[in-house]
Formats: sequence, structure tokens, C-alpha cells
Amino acid sequence: MELNRRVFLKCIGAAGAGVAGAATDSTAVHAWESRAPADPLGCLVDLNRCIGCRKCEQACQTVNKLPQPEQPFDDLTVLDKKRRPDERAYTVVNRYYPGRRDERDQLVPTFVKVQCMHCQDPACASACIVGALTKKENGAVYYDISKCIGCRYCMVACPFEIPAYEYHNPVTPRVMKCTFCYERVENEGKLPGCVGICPVEAMTFGRRSNLLKIAKKRIESDPGSYVNHVYGEHEAGGTSWLYISGVPFDRVGFIQVPHRPLTELAETIQSSLFSYLWSPIVLFGMLGGIMRAFGGKSDRDINHKGEES
Amino acid sequence: MIKRLSGAIAVLAALSAIGGLAAIFSGGPAAQDARAAAVKSEPAPAEPKTGTVWTAPDQEAAKKRAQEVVPFVDAVMEECQLCRQMRLREAGLGIKDITNSYFLLDSSIIKKSEDLYGPVRFKHTKHAAELKDCALCHHRRPLDAKARETTRCSACHQEPFRVNQPERIGLKAAYHQQCTGCHQEMKKGPTDCLGCHRKNVPDHKELVNLPEKPEPIQVTRECLRCHKAVGDDMLKTAHWLWKGPSPYTLNRSKHVNHGKATTSINNF
Ligand code: SF4
Ligand code: SF4
Repeated sequence: MELNRRVFLKCIGAAGAGVAGAATDSTAVHAWESRAPADPLGCLVDLNRCIGCRKCEQACQTVNKLPQPEQPFDDLTVLDKKRRPDERAYTVVNRYYPGRRDERDQLVPTFVKVQCMHCQDPACASACIVGALTKKENGAVYYDISKCIGCRYCMVACPFEIPAYEYHNPVTPRVMKCTFCYERVENEGKLPGCVGICPVEAMTFGRRSNLLKIAKKRIESDPGSYVNHVYGEHEAGGTSWLYISGVPFDRVGFIQVPHRPLTELAETIQSSLFSYLWSPIVLFGMLGGIMRAFGGKSDRDINHKGEES
Repeated sequence: MIKRLSGAIAVLAALSAIGGLAAIFSGGPAAQDARAAAVKSEPAPAEPKTGTVWTAPDQEAAKKRAQEVVPFVDAVMEECQLCRQMRLREAGLGIKDITNSYFLLDSSIIKKSEDLYGPVRFKHTKHAAELKDCALCHHRRPLDAKARETTRCSACHQEPFRVNQPERIGLKAAYHQQCTGCHQEMKKGPTDCLGCHRKNVPDHKELVNLPEKPEPIQVTRECLRCHKAVGDDMLKTAHWLWKGPSPYTLNRSKHVNHGKATTSINNF
């Protein structure tokens, strides 16, 4: 038993050393490089402005020709439950009571519009093995149904748990997520549906660099009303959608994600594994080692020799 | 015949002038046009010419005014809220200077991005009389010294997301932030959509999905697909639940159960 484990660990160790060597070697040559567009379009969501009217959800449904919801859009009781974007809705608005009170001691709600963040270096796109998801120059993370093979790796990779899948559609199931109204913005020069309809301009549309400036200025000029954090500036290596808020983000449903692009680690390992001709040798060496170890074990088992210990 | 037709058009025009109701009930192309004309630009030529339809003069003026797009004011004077309040007060600006007591907030700038709701009817003088402080809404003045002290909202707030004025919100947001914000703060006035707007009825030609010659029950089902609550309400009305004799209905004068839920037929 003990020997078994020792042999196994040895193989792993040897192979691992090979991989590590490959990784260190290759990072010198193939350092991970961001492929993010320099100044994409984006959206700054100001949670202090949103009034939770759900008009953005309605506009999204209309412009993207999504199915009608079970309850109509002007039914605000929907906000009693927390929802996530799914294959029927690219964006949803949630209501939180993070503890702020007005002068009458009533809890003040904060509304949060949730959709794909359109990461600068999207994990979903790097997980996609056929390139069905791509980061476009204008900021949108675009989904091409004609390339998608339905492996749903993107759903696993996304740190914000955004992509959904049309499980109910047996013929042409699609991965469903916010498109940043790519065609509307790029070809028709219009605003994204949600942005155009918002009655209070809770979303500001523009170049990401400008939005960051606006966000910081808003925080700076009214520090009492905002927490000093632009969510999306660094999260997951930076996102095209940015948020500012009057309450700490973790109290209104925002996930803490690493500041490194999540693609960096995955891609470094991938490229190191496959960039050198000899790396398959390491791989097969490792596999062979494992097989030998286990093969040996079964032999001994048959012989009932119990010499391992 | 022609007389009757023009009479009908006049009625439709009147209805649309009041509130666009014609489109809701008739849905015909004439009504659509009339409604579009009422909502859109210019006083619709077909409307007042009949001579018999009365239209409120201030409503007509407000409609015309709502369609004007004034030159954009690029630079505004920076001063603190308090300074501005004091200055306006010292200048003696007040209710007596109001030139328009009534506005229809129906700018084509907003209509460009959406058309979900009808215009808001804003009573300028009433608000001014209650607040007694012009600077609450007229919070900035154009930098140009020759310009009026108070200008309309849409002089400074037009299209949203101007690159050169990053913090200048668009007209729609300016209205909503200003109105709702103040209503909330003062605990007075509506803060929900329908408190100020009438909903525009979407074009049902696109929404209704029926075969060529539908059965009555198919039509009912199609209506209920979206208007489920109306269907539920119907089941609680006297039309549905009524029980009693119907002595004047042919062949049914002896029936007692006679609401729509039981044996009723449309006999009127
Ligand atoms: S939020 Fe998720 S789905 Fe959207 S771009 Fe980032 S990784 Fe992809
Ligand atoms: S439309 Fe604007 S205000 Fe309304 S819920 Fe969406 S983001 Fe918030």
C-alpha cells in the first residue's frame, strides 16, 4: 500500500517537475498577455440612482426578442425574490435592504441591475475551445451560435456565474447571456436597450476610460454618498461594466473575485503544456508512470503477496 | 354618408386629443394616425378645422411648445445653490414672472429612445406657488450674461452621455431625477410611473397571434394570455355571477340561473 502511494507520488512528482519546468521556461518566452481592447465602450451603473423600476429588463426583452416573463414587468412584487440572469432574461434587477435608514427610520432599498460584466479578458471566452465567445473591439463579449458546440465550459469558467443554457430547447440550444446589444451599438449606432430606457440614467454609457473618470469624480465630489470602490475597475482583471454604490458591495450581492484576469492562470498552463514539442512526452510519461504503478499493484494483488509494507 | 364619415373622424380626433383613447378601442388605421398626430409634432391639421371641436387653448400651446428644440446651452455658470437662491430672491424673481403656467413634457428628444408612456402634464405655476423658490428647479443659468436667468430644462439637458459634459444628464433623466427626487424628499406628489404618465398602449397588431378565422374561445384565450388579471376579475362581476329571472329574454323567461357563468348568451 505504502509503496503504491510512494510510486504514484514519485511519478506525479517527476511529471510535475517537468510541467513546472515547462511553465517557468515558457513564461519567459510566452508571458501571458492581455488581449483586451485598449478603450472599449462600457457602462457605469450608479446604484444610488437606480429606482428599481425594471424598465431595463423590459427593454432587454424587447430588443433581444426574449420570451415574455411569467409576471409582467410592471409587477414589482417580483423584487421580493432574488433572481439571477437566465436563459429567458439577460438582465434582472434585485432589491436589497443593506441597512440604510431614512429620517423616518424606514429601511432604504438598494436596487442592483445584474447582467454580464463584459470582462476585459473574459474567462468564458478563453474557456471556449471553439472560439464561439470573443471580446469585440467595442467592448462586447460576443457569442456566435454557429460556432458553439454546447460544451458549456463558459458557464463553469465565468466568475460572475452569468452564462445560461437553453436546456429546454433540444434542437438548437443556445448559451444565453447579455450581448451588450452588440449589433444595435456597432451597426445601428444606438444605445443598448437598457441604457436607452432607464428613466433616471442609472447607467452611463461611454468609453471605459471616461467612465472610470466619471465614477471617481462622483465618489470624490460626494464621499458621504459613495463607498470608495469602483466595482469592475480591477475585478477579474477589469470589466466593461462598472458599478458605484452607496453601500459596501458585499452587502448588495456582489461576489468578491480576484483582481487578476481569470484567464491568465488557465492560459499560462494551457500554453505551457502545449507549446513545446516535448510536453506530450511529459504528459505520457506521467500517464505511463501511473499505469505502471497501478498495474504493479494489481499484479501483486493477484499474487496475494502483501510485500508492499 | 360623407357627412357621417367626417363626423366619425371628428369624434376620433376629439377622443385622441383628450387622451389617445381612440387608439385603444378602435385600433383602426384612422385612429392610429390620429393618435400618432396627437402625440407627434405640429398641431394635426385635421383636428381643429371642423370648427365644432373645442380644444383647450393652453393645451394646444403646450403641445406646440413641447415640440420645440431650443439651441443647446453649452456652458453654465457655476455657483452654489445658496448663492443662486439668494441672487434670484434679491432680483425679485417670482410667480409674477411666469410666462407659461402649464407645460406638456413631451419632447422629441425623449421620444427618440422610447415611447412607453404618454407625456406628463406639468403645472408650472402651481409648483412655483407651493415651492416659492425658483432655484430649486432652475438650479443653473447659462454662462452667457445676455441669456434669461431661468431657461427651460431642455436648453441644458438634451441627449444623454455627452463626452464634453460628462456629468450633464439627458433630458429624460433630468426630469425624472428632479421630479421623483423632490417628490420623495417632500413626501408629496407621485413617485411611481402611473402617478404622472398614462401608459401608451402597445401596437396589438404585433402582439396578438390568432388564426385567420378564429373561434370565439380562441380569441378569449388569446386575450387572457396577457390580461389574466382582467379575466380573473371578470369572474367576480355581476355579469358572471348574476342569478335571477330574465322575463324579457325569448325562450328563457323561466330560467333563473342566468349569469354568463351559466346559461347567458349575448342578447343585447
Ligand atoms: S461576466 Fe462572465 S460571461 Fe460575461 S464576459 Fe465575464 S466571464 Fe464572460
Ligand atoms: S431602468 Fe434604470 S432605474 Fe429602472 S431598474 Fe433599470 S437601472 Fe434601475
